[in-house]
Amino acid sequence: MQLKLRGIRKQFGENEVLKGIDLTVNGGEVVALLGENGAGKSTLTRVISGAYQANGGTVEIDGSLVDFRKPQDAMKAGIQVIYQEFKHNLFPQLTVAENLYAGDRSGRHGRLWSNRAAMQKDADALLKSIGMAMSPSAIVGGLSVPQQQMLAIAKAIGEDASMVIFDEPTAALDQAEVEALFAQVRRLRDEGVAIIYISHRLTEVFGLVDRLVVLRDGVVALETTPDESSEREVVQAMVGRAVENFYPKEQHATDQTVLQLRGLSSAGHFSDVDLQVHAGEVLGIGGVQGCGKGSLLRSLYGLLPVTSGEVLLEEVTFRPTTPRAAIASGLCYLTPDRQNEGLAVQQSIARNISMATLDAVTSVGMVNARAEEARGEKMRSALDIKARSVNTAVSALSGGNQQKVLLGRWLMADPKVLLMEEPTRGVDVGAKAEIYRVINEQTSRGVAIVLVSSDLPELVEMSDRVIVMREGRVVAELAGNDINQESVLHHALESAAS
Amino acid sequence: MNRLSALALQLRAVWMLLGVALILFIATPYFLTSSNFMAIALTASITALLAIGETFVIILGEIDLSVGAMLGFTSVITAMVLPHSGLVMGLLAGLGAGAAAGLINGLLVTKVNMPSFIATLASLSILSGLTLYLTKGNPVGISSDAFRLIGTGHILGVPVPIWILLVCAVVFGILLARSRFGRQVYATGDNFEAAHLSGMPVTSVKVAAFVISGVLAGVAGFILAARLGTAQPSAGKGLELTAIAAVIIGGTSLLGGRGAVVGTVIGALLLGTIDNGLNLLDVSPFLQDVVKGVVILFAVFIDRNAGPIRIIVQSLKRVVPGASFPGKETTPTR
Repeated sequence: MQLKLRGIRKQFGENEVLKGIDLTVNGGEVVALLGENGAGKSTLTRVISGAYQANGGTVEIDGSLVDFRKPQDAMKAGIQVIYQEFKHNLFPQLTVAENLYAGDRSGRHGRLWSNRAAMQKDADALLKSIGMAMSPSAIVGGLSVPQQQMLAIAKAIGEDASMVIFDEPTAALDQAEVEALFAQVRRLRDEGVAIIYISHRLTEVFGLVDRLVVLRDGVVALETTPDESSEREVVQAMVGRAVENFYPKEQHATDQTVLQLRGLSSAGHFSDVDLQVHAGEVLGIGGVQGCGKGSLLRSLYGLLPVTSGEVLLEEVTFRPTTPRAAIASGLCYLTPDRQNEGLAVQQSIARNISMATLDAVTSVGMVNARAEEARGEKMRSALDIKARSVNTAVSALSGGNQQKVLLGRWLMADPKVLLMEEPTRGVDVGAKAEIYRVINEQTSRGVAIVLVSSDLPELVEMSDRVIVMREGRVVAELAGNDINQESVLHHALESAAS
Repeated sequence: MNRLSALALQLRAVWMLLGVALILFIATPYFLTSSNFMAIALTASITALLAIGETFVIILGEIDLSVGAMLGFTSVITAMVLPHSGLVMGLLAGLGAGAAAGLINGLLVTKVNMPSFIATLASLSILSGLTLYLTKGNPVGISSDAFRLIGTGHILGVPVPIWILLVCAVVFGILLARSRFGRQVYATGDNFEAAHLSGMPVTSVKVAAFVISGVLAGVAGFILAARLGTAQPSAGKGLELTAIAAVIIGGTSLLGGRGAVVGTVIGALLLGTIDNGLNLLDVSPFLQDVVKGVVILFAVFIDRNAGPIRIIVQSLKRVVPGASFPGKETTPTR
């Protein structure tokens, strides 16, 4: 199939988000849709999928005009979307098989009573055909986040789609799962499906797609192919200005140990971890999903029990019991899941920033709102948080600005050790650069940073040292020139064991 | 939300209150008299006290179904202790009983991990049963003059119960809006995990909110008994629903993280005014609950549809300059 958009416009109130987009996607082709948050990618996706109606322009499929009034119309035409918030499209209480066929109207598994055996058999066949090891009778709510993501993808491609739109599909996946996903994308392409692929991860996009379309401020800023272009050129088109060095790493590492772990274990999560982090240093931790890198951070923050071993914080024994105790000792944790664990989105920016340090603006139990706002204002300008005022609710901000608010909360606490897990997940290029700048600034002040990231280029470029974990153990420590994507992957994947 | 729209949510109840008052002013000459206003405020003060406590619980994303039963229980405890031990001990016994019941609710929700709907539903049943058992179902009379004076006396021409409500509303309103504890209530209700990871004492905050709800039920029970001169075992029956309605009409979100005491008090006054107006207009008491139900639906409908309604009002504005409507700010999601 061929999808042809001409002069698509969309506005919300006074705010024009799409200002005349022309885009053609052919069957058997993967087109990357790139742009900063707010550039119009998601809005364009929703126009194609019928979730939004355009204010102008035309949509053609195979040469004939179409007008999708609702998502079901687009689905009937064979257009499937895997949204970034894929959890909204899954039923957590139902099984994998029931989820896969929830939208199935063919009646092949019975009309009134469902034939579970037949459904499971079909589901099993579908999952096997796309190389996914997953029981069709498993309850979806019990699956891991990456498994749920893969299920959402399986659901979309199981519906005989002629066009699939992936919106940030790899944000929750580790390297091995990303590879499995790419295999699916290529398989679909080879079957003649038209694919739109939205991602912030440029390196990964360059290896996958046939064409790149960059949106900026609601117009197409660049249309090119991976061969004719470079990451630098694409980033320039995204931000609209020249970007000197995307990873502006500065060296501030000292040899003064701030955090030291000795034989730290948490039963069922990781065991026997020894490591040191120095003042001004960024220690990266690599490894696939479930290798224990996230659990390690959570146990240091008192969220998982430490079963043996010891933690020294500035040479004093530190027992991680609760987040409160960790913060008081100068250890802060930037959660990877800012929606569920990070932000109170109905509250204002200033209030979110002061959540961990309320005591500083409290006297006799009362909060000095003016002092709190002033602090928030300072942090807002320091981190360039784009909002009308610090009293704006966090829910009104873009992903990148929300992440900056969360980061601001921890900077306010003046940490000695900052544990950062996926600090740039789902944020745009501009916010990424800002977060890297903050990492440099903090290390220059002597803060020790532990960086867990599944964004390999980021991990490799921003770390002074990298340790790699596999199956709950530290399997390698890389420094200097040994830090590169290949060596991290090599140690992270099981194949390295043999 | 920014300050303005938070205020707008509170104002919604004000507009509705003014609207109802205007209708009643036109419909009946008895409405606009100071004695009638006092009557409204007196009736509403009981609901308002329960609803203020309920506001804390609901902002935390929980619910307390036992406030009505706690009111009956505490007023009976007060009435039983007061004749032997005096006014102060009677009051303290009532408040203590409320605090204890609230503490148990809070611990059931946080430590036993029980949904608050179920835990407080059980408390409702247990407390109302205990109240009937203690009194054998009979009202407990109190003959203390000082006690009666609290229920029926006036200061500066305003009945004492209304003063007590005002003090409670100001104290707890400031506690919620300006104290560290208040911040913790909003943050915990908005996102429990986020508050926990920020080092907030989330468990204690929840327990404290249930205790506040119990204590305020104790205050309400005390006032009600003082006004009537007897503690009625079934006095609080069904009042939990009226209190919850007042909270919701006042703009507090059942999902947590949003709300304020001012709105709740106005919500209680609105429900009281409607009751009063329907009586003045001689509407069948059976129909009064129907009207209250419609008001709740209307309030929530405005909340949900603030966006579309704003658009309609804005287009009206072009025709009629100066028209305004308080509505929630909406931001298009992209």
